[in-house]
Amino acid sequence: MSSPMVELHQLRKAYGATAVVKGLSLQVQAGEFIALLGPSGCGKTTSLRMIAGLERPDAGRLVIDGLTVDAPGQHVPPERRHLGMVFQSYAVWPHHSVFENVAYPLRLKKVPAPEREQRVRRALGWVRLEALADRRPHQLSGGQLQRVALARALVAEPSVLLLDEPLSNLDAALREELRGEIASLRSRLNITMVYVTHDQSEALALADRVAVMNRGVLEQVAAPQVIYAEPATAFVAGFVGGANLLDGQVEAGRFVVGAHAFALPMPAPDGPATLAVRPEDVVPGGEGTVLPLSARLFLGHATEYRFSLGETVLRGLGPTGLWPTAVTLRAARLFPRR
Amino acid sequence: MKRALLALALLLPLVAFGLWPIAHLVWRGAADLGASAWALLGSDPVRRSLWGTVLTSSGAALLAFTLGLPLAVLLERTDLPGRRALTAVFTLPSAIPPFIQGMGWVALANPRAGLLNRWLGGSWFDIYGSGGIALVLGIAGLPLVLLSASAVLKRVDSALEEAARLSGAGALRTLSSVPGRLALPAALSGASLVFLFAASAFGVPYLLGVTATPPTPTLTTRIYTEVLMGPRGLSTGAVMSALLLVLASAVQLLSRWLGRAGRVRLLAGKGARLTALALGPWRTPLGVAAWLLALTLVALPLGAVFLTSVSTSGQLQHPTLAHWSSVLGQARTLEAAGRSLLLSLGAAALVTALGLAVALVRTQARGSGWLEALASWPYAVPGTVLALGLLVTFSMDLRFVLVDRVAFVLALSNAVWLVLLAWTVKHLAFGVRNAAEGLAQVDPSLTEAARVSGARPLRAFVDATVPQLSAALTAAFTLTFLTCATELTLAVLLVPTGQDVLGTLLFELQSYADPASAAVIACTFVLVVLAALALQAVARPRQEAR
Repeated sequence: MSSPMVELHQLRKAYGATAVVKGLSLQVQAGEFIALLGPSGCGKTTSLRMIAGLERPDAGRLVIDGLTVDAPGQHVPPERRHLGMVFQSYAVWPHHSVFENVAYPLRLKKVPAPEREQRVRRALGWVRLEALADRRPHQLSGGQLQRVALARALVAEPSVLLLDEPLSNLDAALREELRGEIASLRSRLNITMVYVTHDQSEALALADRVAVMNRGVLEQVAAPQVIYAEPATAFVAGFVGGANLLDGQVEAGRFVVGAHAFALPMPAPDGPATLAVRPEDVVPGGEGTVLPLSARLFLGHATEYRFSLGETVLRGLGPTGLWPTAVTLRAARLFPRR
Repeated sequence: MKRALLALALLLPLVAFGLWPIAHLVWRGAADLGASAWALLGSDPVRRSLWGTVLTSSGAALLAFTLGLPLAVLLERTDLPGRRALTAVFTLPSAIPPFIQGMGWVALANPRAGLLNRWLGGSWFDIYGSGGIALVLGIAGLPLVLLSASAVLKRVDSALEEAARLSGAGALRTLSSVPGRLALPAALSGASLVFLFAASAFGVPYLLGVTATPPTPTLTTRIYTEVLMGPRGLSTGAVMSALLLVLASAVQLLSRWLGRAGRVRLLAGKGARLTALALGPWRTPLGVAAWLLALTLVALPLGAVFLTSVSTSGQLQHPTLAHWSSVLGQARTLEAAGRSLLLSLGAAALVTALGLAVALVRTQARGSGWLEALASWPYAVPGTVLALGLLVTFSMDLRFVLVDRVAFVLALSNAVWLVLLAWTVKHLAFGVRNAAEGLAQVDPSLTEAARVSGARPLRAFVDATVPQLSAALTAAFTLTFLTCATELTLAVLLVPTGQDVLGTLLFELQSYADPASAAVIACTFVLVVLAALALQAVARPRQEAR
């Protein structure tokens, strides 16, 4: 169990003068589900495509199942990596039926027809598409297409399944449904998965470990609970927890931003810092730091109150129906000044 | 490395059969005539042919523009009755060789025996001369304006028109000031292409110009008659070809500039909403006018060709099918049809394959735009010039042996291949353009999915990429095949006597001997085209559903 299935060592990739991935190192254990999480353009998809062999790293080493597939002067093409991949655009071949789509990897492996038929049926069963085997892709919905793509990626029983934003082309209800399906598939097949997404809730819900990427580097790799409860950097706190990020100065137990000062809920040494505070920890109303209210957004379960703070905005959550003029901070984290 | 080799392998034939013959022709003309080349350019016959070309081409461009822009707006943006059928009728001339349309107009408006003149009693219409040439070429070129304007109009959001209505403009005012204005540069660019098309035309100016009184020569017809006169004429023709080439290049640059200057940045992303603008009280009169125009300009001449094919010595009192049975059963017709079929299929296959190769190199290797330009360029070269270039270049070795009548001796010895070569070079642009457009729409992840599934690059290309291109490649193949099947301009210079293809047979029958027999062949071809178009129309909705 403990032998790494995918190992990335200092992978680098640049397009022209733009460095997209800047020295990425990561180990994915066999049977592990790891999510690569980050905003668009952070290099997560490029990293996944390097694992797939669709992009060639400029530097670094890539090992899959003990086999070096990328190293200086060495490149194993995608067709010899025995991977499965699910694309954001489904990439279901429109000129083939569902069955033929799923059978394609087995045909290339020259699996004899009777066995092929049986394995395709089994893979279609995993994604509950047995009944639609003879349909053409144009007769399917987006969710069904993505299931076809999943079955096709799984049919040859690859060592690693790569998923590139598989749910982002689906509407909210389908996304919910397919997310559950991926989770149950995963527990049934016990396959190693690398899952790229920009949706933090997807990553937190599905993965064993989340790797948060920003601007081509890893900010933090940890279990979802750890990522959420103990973000390692201001970026992770902002991206995963949706925290407000304020640049300022700690002065005698208070955090000073421009003309405003907040009482800190924890002790801290003086000096410049970035403060991360989640909206639910910004308590509107009562005595505290006086701030002008700029907007109220009714969210259903609560109301988001927005306060102007110089150039930026401080978001806080509270009960509906207030006209707060001040806020207090219930909990916060300090990071080195950005 | 492999890509560089492929690029080189494509480069050699493109230069050898495209660029070099043209360059050689120009050089040959200059070298043979020396200083007298300049004198020739200033001579009266050349000046008159140049004037003929400019006059007829401008007329054609003007006609196509004045009809094309309003028609495009009406057909694309309004609730004109029968819009789809009208669009089909007005774009039909692009699928029918202009020469056949010219035959129809001769049958209609020949000053002595034209059907219109006979019905009306007297010599009301005369299709011969520059006016007639401009009319026929203008109608044949109309689809160029119509299509380029429509391409813009399809992307105009109806909200732009609705805003004009709310600002107080009536239906017609709205149409002319919003979509009409937005499509203006595209229509002008289309009109300059009509000029190019008309200046390169050979069949129609020959049919309607050479026998006119007084004769109306154009550069293309003049080059042809010069070449018929032997080696000395070949040199004169070469010099005039250079002149035509300069004219064509200048107009092409103009067209390109217009196309670029007029590119309107229409809101992209979410598809523009299209609501047909209600014409209100104008709907019926405009509809009637558009249908009358369609019937007169497109359907009437084709009908006249049919009537010619069933007439006895120009008279319609006793219609007969005798011509049909005799012409279609004739060994000469069948041989020509067979030759045309094989050569057109060959050219279509070559154009499709080479076009795909060029487009592939273009997308794969950076900085290979010149390869695409080199492949597309011969399409803009007037056919007469290209044919003459090939003739002069590939008769070099034989010239020493057979001093006189070079062109024809060479053509006799390997004409078929020269025609195949010429058709391929000329229409390579179809293949490149279609393949490039097809490749641009290919979803790369479909091919990547095949790679990850275990397919090697070539296998993935065949299994996943090519099926996505099939529509584009079929279009390139069909277009090339249909264009070559009755191609005239190149064939008339490159095909020797006794080795007729359909185009030259049609030309010869119509010009010298037997318009009724020519009409039979023309009708047959029109029927084939209509059948192909109908088939396409039936097949398209099914494809879109996929």
